[in-house]
Amino acid sequence: MSYPRCMSFGGRESVKTSRNSVKAKQRRWGWAFLIPATVMIIVMSFYPMVQALITSFKKGPILNMQMADPWYNNYTRILQDKIFITAMKNTFLYLIIQVPIMLILAMLLAQILNNKDLKFKGIFRTMVFLPCATSLVSYALIFKSLFATQGLINSVLRSLHIISENINWLGTAGTAKFVIIFALIWRWTGYNMVFYLAGLQNIDYQVYEAAKIDGASAWKTFWRITVPLLKPVIVMTFIMSINGTLQLFDESVNLTNGGPANATITMSHYIYNMSFGQGVGKFGYASAMSFVVFIMVGVLAAINMKVGDTRD
Amino acid sequence: MKRKLIALLTASVMAVSMVPAAVYAEEAPAADVASEDENTLSVYAWDANFNIPALEAAEADYQKNVNPDFKLNIITQSGSSDVENAVTLAASAGDYSTLPDIVLFQDHYFQQFHLNYPDAWQDLSTADVDWSDYGAEKLSYSTIDDVHYGAPVDNGTAIMAYRTDLLEEAGYTVEDMTGCTWDKFIEVGKAVYEKTGKYLLCMDGSGNDLPYMMLQAEGESQFTDGAPTFASNEKYIQIIADIVTMINEKVLYLGNDWSDYTDQAIVGDMVAGVLNGNWIIPTMEQVAENSGKWAITSLPTLEGGEGYAANGGSSLYITANCTKPELAVDFLSKTFLGGSTETYDAALKNGGVITCSSKAGASDVYQEGVDFFEGQPIYADIVKMGANVPIVEQSDYHYQCRQYVGTAIQNLVAGGDASLEAVAAALEDAQGQLEFEMEG
Amino acid sequence: MTEKPKRNKSSIQRRLIPSYVFLIIWSFFSVFPLYWMITAATNTTVEVARGKIWFGTAAVENFRNLLAAQPLWKSMGNSFLYAIAQTLLCLFICSLAGFGFELYADKAKDRLFAFLLLAMMIPGVATMIPLFVLISRMGLLNSVWGFILPQVSTPFMIMMFRNNSRNFPPAIMEAARIDGQTEVGIFFKQYMPIMRSTYAAAAVITFMNAWNAYLWPKVVMTDNRAQTMPMLIANLASGYTIDYGMLMMGVLFCSVPTMVVFFVLQKQFAEGITGSVK
Repeated sequence: MSYPRCMSFGGRESVKTSRNSVKAKQRRWGWAFLIPATVMIIVMSFYPMVQALITSFKKGPILNMQMADPWYNNYTRILQDKIFITAMKNTFLYLIIQVPIMLILAMLLAQILNNKDLKFKGIFRTMVFLPCATSLVSYALIFKSLFATQGLINSVLRSLHIISENINWLGTAGTAKFVIIFALIWRWTGYNMVFYLAGLQNIDYQVYEAAKIDGASAWKTFWRITVPLLKPVIVMTFIMSINGTLQLFDESVNLTNGGPANATITMSHYIYNMSFGQGVGKFGYASAMSFVVFIMVGVLAAINMKVGDTRD
Repeated sequence: MKRKLIALLTASVMAVSMVPAAVYAEEAPAADVASEDENTLSVYAWDANFNIPALEAAEADYQKNVNPDFKLNIITQSGSSDVENAVTLAASAGDYSTLPDIVLFQDHYFQQFHLNYPDAWQDLSTADVDWSDYGAEKLSYSTIDDVHYGAPVDNGTAIMAYRTDLLEEAGYTVEDMTGCTWDKFIEVGKAVYEKTGKYLLCMDGSGNDLPYMMLQAEGESQFTDGAPTFASNEKYIQIIADIVTMINEKVLYLGNDWSDYTDQAIVGDMVAGVLNGNWIIPTMEQVAENSGKWAITSLPTLEGGEGYAANGGSSLYITANCTKPELAVDFLSKTFLGGSTETYDAALKNGGVITCSSKAGASDVYQEGVDFFEGQPIYADIVKMGANVPIVEQSDYHYQCRQYVGTAIQNLVAGGDASLEAVAAALEDAQGQLEFEMEG
Repeated sequence: MTEKPKRNKSSIQRRLIPSYVFLIIWSFFSVFPLYWMITAATNTTVEVARGKIWFGTAAVENFRNLLAAQPLWKSMGNSFLYAIAQTLLCLFICSLAGFGFELYADKAKDRLFAFLLLAMMIPGVATMIPLFVLISRMGLLNSVWGFILPQVSTPFMIMMFRNNSRNFPPAIMEAARIDGQTEVGIFFKQYMPIMRSTYAAAAVITFMNAWNAYLWPKVVMTDNRAQTMPMLIANLASGYTIDYGMLMMGVLFCSVPTMVVFFVLQKQFAEGITGSVK
């Protein structure tokens, strides 16, 4: 995987110095600064990942794992696994619907809040961001009780005569998916908005003034000026959201427990079920599914970087 | 150059360790959950309103009657799966020293965990206990090759509870319901919903324990010789068809998950009947305004006649990490295993935990009438019903089976077809998925 | 002369009405569930189950039950300790790496960076057992180190520091070098103060992640003396009978610290997240 410039913003050319030894010394220091971070990632992430990769070719109880026969058996099994395929479909549905809606809303909010004439900016910004401060365990509990059969949402809708009978939000496939998407939008829009807002604030206001004088419409200004200048931030939020959604876990577990009839289960949730919480885990199979997710995230992130990488 | 590099690394290590190190020293003694003190035992347990009061009752009992210096260090877990995960993790690290002396363990999972992690457990063969005092069904979970491992805590006997006032409104009594057929039950349920707007039954849609209990009341299992055979079991097909019909006819409220089942259906006062393990009683009692309106009886069956079943329940097991097995065995055999009246009376009062020891069940406390249930002596009744629960074949895949059958039920409800053919096809599918999981 | 700008101003505000309406609706949407959490903490479990929308009178009782049921202050203390320790260590290690990656950039470092990014693509469940075995062999179960070590170096934080280091003026480095400062000195004396708003933003994010972490702490903290706030909530939310009023009181206590951190650092957070250098 090559590392596109849009993410790194490119390296600076090393400063030319007359004496080579000084430069070499600086270069050594450059590497030394990376040592703690690199060592920690290798020990705490890559070493367990390699272990998991080896496990993914094995079967049996964890104390006595044997090589699968054939060695890729866990991987071919995935293709026949109806629940994994359901989980994959669910996850991609969340990805396709929730991520764009959330990012568009985040951008819209950031644009509005970036207006220099707007009053009470601080209060609005705080309120928009506030949901991100709630823990995942907490917010799932809150949404679950709001959308309960006799919960608040139903009683409000009933008193407004929008519905005549309580809706079983979390018990029907379609509405349960809706609640998960709704909750995700609630939790993460403000978070992404902050990234956009910060990016917008870095853009010099005079650039807009100039565009206005040239008679460009707001729409045009947005696409011609804002988007290109914000591209690194946009790519970053996209990758964060894709990664977060493909590994979505807490909402599926805590809000709907994957139900009804696996209609909302996500890939990570299913992997978790295969490993923990349902008796003795099938760790080989779970590891194999994890690497399938790993590849999906990698492919989507790479596509994203390529699309975002239209350098001038 | 090298010197500077070392200086940098030392400085950074120092900088980063300053804050945490100070408190790390304080935390360090907590690293080993197995207790050092010779009079202390540590135990993993969950449910602060149920199992933990029972353990506290046993602690107090042992302190008072055997060893005043005894201490039980109860380590609260968020659920049974936490304990299962702790055993799995300790086994995978090849080091059981992270486990406490005793764990509370879900009955249905013990055999599977014993099979996979045989070194994680110590048996109770040294306990001087009259095992015949306990319900055979309960002990069947914790006994392997005639060796006892578990000390039963609670009693999973199922109760069928009815709201007598709502039944009356629809023109029926509890006597009509005792020993009735499921067809009759459905008929009554329709009348009750029509008259009162309440469901006669409810079920946790992610736990799906109802089909299991209904089949056990018929004396049968979803498994035969270790393999799932429910899809070809006529009775089971009929049971699932009845459940789907009940959902469609608003006789049965299908909760989305545990909290929907308890907090909406039961605490939210949506139901006129509850069928589950007797541990559901404290949940029912939360609705104080319905006090004196409930009565408890046995389950309906397909052909009529009283049905008995059990659901849930857990036992205490001694882990390999326990260095004081004598103390642990003695503690268990003088409290839960000895059918100690003091332990079980307090466990019942403080946690609603009902014993499966017939000796403990004979105490005065058990004979008292309970106001919430119109003065019915429900605890004595439940202990009596417990003796009638048929032993059926258990499986390591008990919960997975429930999961797949639950999915089948959800799909049948969504599909709107409750014919026996449709049910048989859905169960065939569920069994196929379970077999797929079991082979991998 | 004075009339005109005024009229102008009010017409600008008038044009902003749709913006205000949208913001008010969104703010309501954002805040309402939190309002509900607070009211639920003052109601009894039966009232919560039936969706009561207004404040109740059970707050004191819920709080008392919470204190009796769970070690609230101990868990708060643990959560603060772990989150602060993780934030300090993570900020130091990742900013050092971000500094190294951007200001000493070359091809090889770009490749190393891309390689490190792979670490964030695997679901956490997959590495949990090997990681547990590792931490357990190191004897770090139930310790603050067991909690933080797996998270002290994250690709995301390194990426954030690296991206924001773009705004660090190279001229400062040159000037400092001419003044005879060492590379380490430049990091501590120039980079750290100038990048302080990035540090603030990174601190907010790391603190929140550490505070809210659930699965990993659940695995390494086998003793409930080491329990964190999310674990406390999970303990409250389990069992055959759940007291919702008490649970929401716990949720409230779990949410307040992260909100306070955000309130305190929000100005720097907004500036620092994409690295404006002021």
